[in-house]
Amino acid sequence: MLLQRLFLAAWLVPALAMIYIGSAYQAPFAYEPVGPRAFPLLMLGLLAAGLVYLLIHPTPLADDPDELPPGVEGYRKVGLGIALLLGFALAFEPLGFIPASTLAGLCFARLYGGRWLPSLGLAVVMALGLYLLFDRLLDVPLPLGLLAGLEI
Amino acid sequence: MGPSIRRVLLAAAVLLLCSARAAEPVSPECIAPAAPGGGFDLVCKLARQALQEAGLTDRPLQLSYMPGGVGAVAYNTIAAQRPAEPGTLVAFSSGSLLNIALGKFGRFDETAVRWLAVIGTSYGALAVRADSPYRTLDDLLAALRKDPDSVVIGTSGTIGSQDWMQLALLARLAGIDPRELHYVALEGGGEISTALVGGHVQVGSTDISDSMPHLNSGAIRLLAVFAEQRLDEPAMAAIPTAREQGYDVVWPVLRGFYMGPKVSDADYAWWKNAFDHLLASEDFAALRDRYELFPYAMTGAELDAHVRQKVALYREMARDFDLIR
Amino acid sequence: METLNFLMQGFGVALTPTNLLIALIGTLIGTVVGLLPGLGPINGVAILIPVAFAFGLPPESALILLAAVYLGCEYGGRISSILLNIPGEAATLMTCLDGYPMARQGRAGVALSLSAWSSFLGAFIATCGMVLFAPMLAKWAIAFGPAEYFALMVLAIVALAGMAGDKPMKTLVAALLGLFLSCVGIDANSGVYRFTFDSIHVADGIQFVVLVLGLFSVSEILLLLEKTHHGQQAVQATGRMLFNFNEARRVLMINLRCGIGGFIVGVLPGAGATLASALAYSTEKRMAGADGQFGKGDIRGLAAPETAIGASCCGAMVPMLTLGVPGSGTTAVMIGALTLYNITPGPLLFQNEPELVWGLIASLFIANFMLLVLNVPMIKLFTRILAVPNWALAPAIAIITAIGVYAVHATTFDLLLMVAVGILGYAMRKLDFPLSPLLLGFILGGHMEQDLRRALSISNGELDILWSSGIAQGTWAMVALMLALPLLRLWRRRAARRQAAPAALAE
Repeated sequence: MLLQRLFLAAWLVPALAMIYIGSAYQAPFAYEPVGPRAFPLLMLGLLAAGLVYLLIHPTPLADDPDELPPGVEGYRKVGLGIALLLGFALAFEPLGFIPASTLAGLCFARLYGGRWLPSLGLAVVMALGLYLLFDRLLDVPLPLGLLAGLEI
Repeated sequence: MGPSIRRVLLAAAVLLLCSARAAEPVSPECIAPAAPGGGFDLVCKLARQALQEAGLTDRPLQLSYMPGGVGAVAYNTIAAQRPAEPGTLVAFSSGSLLNIALGKFGRFDETAVRWLAVIGTSYGALAVRADSPYRTLDDLLAALRKDPDSVVIGTSGTIGSQDWMQLALLARLAGIDPRELHYVALEGGGEISTALVGGHVQVGSTDISDSMPHLNSGAIRLLAVFAEQRLDEPAMAAIPTAREQGYDVVWPVLRGFYMGPKVSDADYAWWKNAFDHLLASEDFAALRDRYELFPYAMTGAELDAHVRQKVALYREMARDFDLIR
Repeated sequence: METLNFLMQGFGVALTPTNLLIALIGTLIGTVVGLLPGLGPINGVAILIPVAFAFGLPPESALILLAAVYLGCEYGGRISSILLNIPGEAATLMTCLDGYPMARQGRAGVALSLSAWSSFLGAFIATCGMVLFAPMLAKWAIAFGPAEYFALMVLAIVALAGMAGDKPMKTLVAALLGLFLSCVGIDANSGVYRFTFDSIHVADGIQFVVLVLGLFSVSEILLLLEKTHHGQQAVQATGRMLFNFNEARRVLMINLRCGIGGFIVGVLPGAGATLASALAYSTEKRMAGADGQFGKGDIRGLAAPETAIGASCCGAMVPMLTLGVPGSGTTAVMIGALTLYNITPGPLLFQNEPELVWGLIASLFIANFMLLVLNVPMIKLFTRILAVPNWALAPAIAIITAIGVYAVHATTFDLLLMVAVGILGYAMRKLDFPLSPLLLGFILGGHMEQDLRRALSISNGELDILWSSGIAQGTWAMVALMLALPLLRLWRRRAARRQAAPAALAE
């Protein structure tokens, strides 16, 4: 319950801020009856009202028999996973797709309990294979980064 | 896996050697600053096909899409993050120049990139449904003068877009305040045509390429095309220009490419030569016709000067219409 | 009769060995591209246009290839939805709702084969509809103006409420967030940049791919981490690979209803498969009433959206061929491809290029059939994905997701946004907020706002325009019906209780 209320509050604050920001939008000159402001403000207003309602009457969480509480260790891992994703996103362009994916793939595989050698093998194969698949076959240009000089 | 990787590396090494010898910039790429399927996509494909058929590039141009902020994302990326790539071309149109003039491309202005080539153009046009009471531009403008609010006009995009600008220029020449006109912002020329045929709008401010299908079927008519003179094509020779009806509005929709600001002069010259060569050839003219573009050729320094002049003009117009302060 | 003749000619074109081979290759490539999250039919079709050129294919073969890829992609999209709970594209969002629970119950094979069957039936119905009604439908689609579209969007939003289940407030809040997010970016009507904070990266709005992959894929990776922590494998693949006769019989009426409905929605330019599948799902959920297990692995909840998607994909070809107006992003790319062949889709296409049009329609029949025949034996292969251990699955999902997001704008910003959205998605899932209403609100919100404003621009603010036409009135009547149905059921239940009460007293 507390967690849920915190989440709702963390949601409500930006919603209110957006209402404040949104109320300033105006077309260069009014030529249409509705304007750019009405719809987002209406949605935000209803959203804020809904959030306040939920803050007062939070709904109990449904018990999913499949899901066990992750515990402190579990949340630590989820935190690590998020950090890893962020690192991957930031390294994607500067390092280039192949090095970044190899690194990220290795870390992910380890985080999910893979052993060192298979994880490394998987990461390398996946980075190279996906690069060839997407960049060469599917016409999705991926950054070369560090390997730019090699022109693979 | 081992041998095949080795083969890939070998092939890579060979490729590297080859590309080092040729003067052709490595990994030629054409960025369409929009989602697939629009005019930018087509102009990239035109360049790819033309360059390849003329034997000017060994490897075909790789196409990529970078939608965002009507071209702003691509412009900023090339100006700031990828300024020196010798093989990267980005498609632009008159609309991009208009956006630069309106300050919609962020902190970069028209001097932030190297303008390479314009390879074709389309022209703005005013369309009505076949059974519309307006037969000429004068009919329409007379009705607008009487009550600017009485005619619903569909434009592609909003105030400040190309479609809006050509209409605003026309309205001003006819002594009508463009702000009092009754607009509906639609998406793209195709949507304008269907809205006209469906009777949801009475007039469409659009461009000639987009109007062709419904024009040919006789569902819509063009009151005027905003070109210097009548278009030199059998299907379009009968369409009067705005100029000959007494309103001097010309609105070409140029299509071409720019490159990063730090591309070396040698690479820039290589591309300029390639396009000069292309634009002079008969084969290209035939191909361009298929892509529904009209002739317009300008490259290098000449284009650079032209772009600056255009942007300056647009800026002045935008100020006149109170779009920027 | 003339139509039938033309269709026969069309089959003559489509059944040549070369064209059959092309359709086969197209469906295979399409399935692979569709399977990859973030890449959809737009990419598949865009990639293959130059290939078609390079091989010098004649226009009808090129179009057959593109149609096959298009249908193949739509098919591939459901595989990741059912097996991994990651919708490959907008339309397959509803497929996740019952498809993934089915996979978790070990019925992945049944889900995959039943969805293939449903979408085949949907496509079949739609292709028949095309043969019979295409020119007539074109006129009808043109009559849809902003006011009618607005009514249709309201219908879809009301249908959203059908997904609410036992947590109406949370559904509402999620949908409203989606509706709000659709406002981010340049406003098409006024040119004002809304909620962009002067960043060019969101100037044209938040990209759907970023949102869907963030919400579903990234959050799935994080949830998978929790499960791995407890030593669980994501989903077990066991049991039957094929649906049985009994199951097919149970959903047959749904196939028929949703096939027709999906086709009609698909014909409307811009409405698309997402709207069709959302409407189909929520309508069937309402019709099933209390005895439905919708959301918990009900085969009806899988069959409904799948049939509608199959039907609407074929329906989207109608405005493309008859009006030259793209019914979806993919058909926009196909129009571009036709232009390269000097063919302008539009009102004259049926007259000027009958072989091409009927060849395409015939090849839609064939591609659909091929997809069914090809994919049923491959289901076993697809379900193997589930046997991949988490330590190998998670990195693969993470990297492919990142590629899918990067493919949109090619910027780091989108990758970071995806992670941020993923964290939100994870928190929402942990706290029992449904994700699909958010996405549906996002998809429908943009259309809803713009169409309302366009309609009111046309009428200068007069609200009458919203219900002035017959089509609009019909749609509003359906909205009323949608709203009334649950009330009706409530009333009936109360009446039943009242009847039961005296009986109990009498005993």
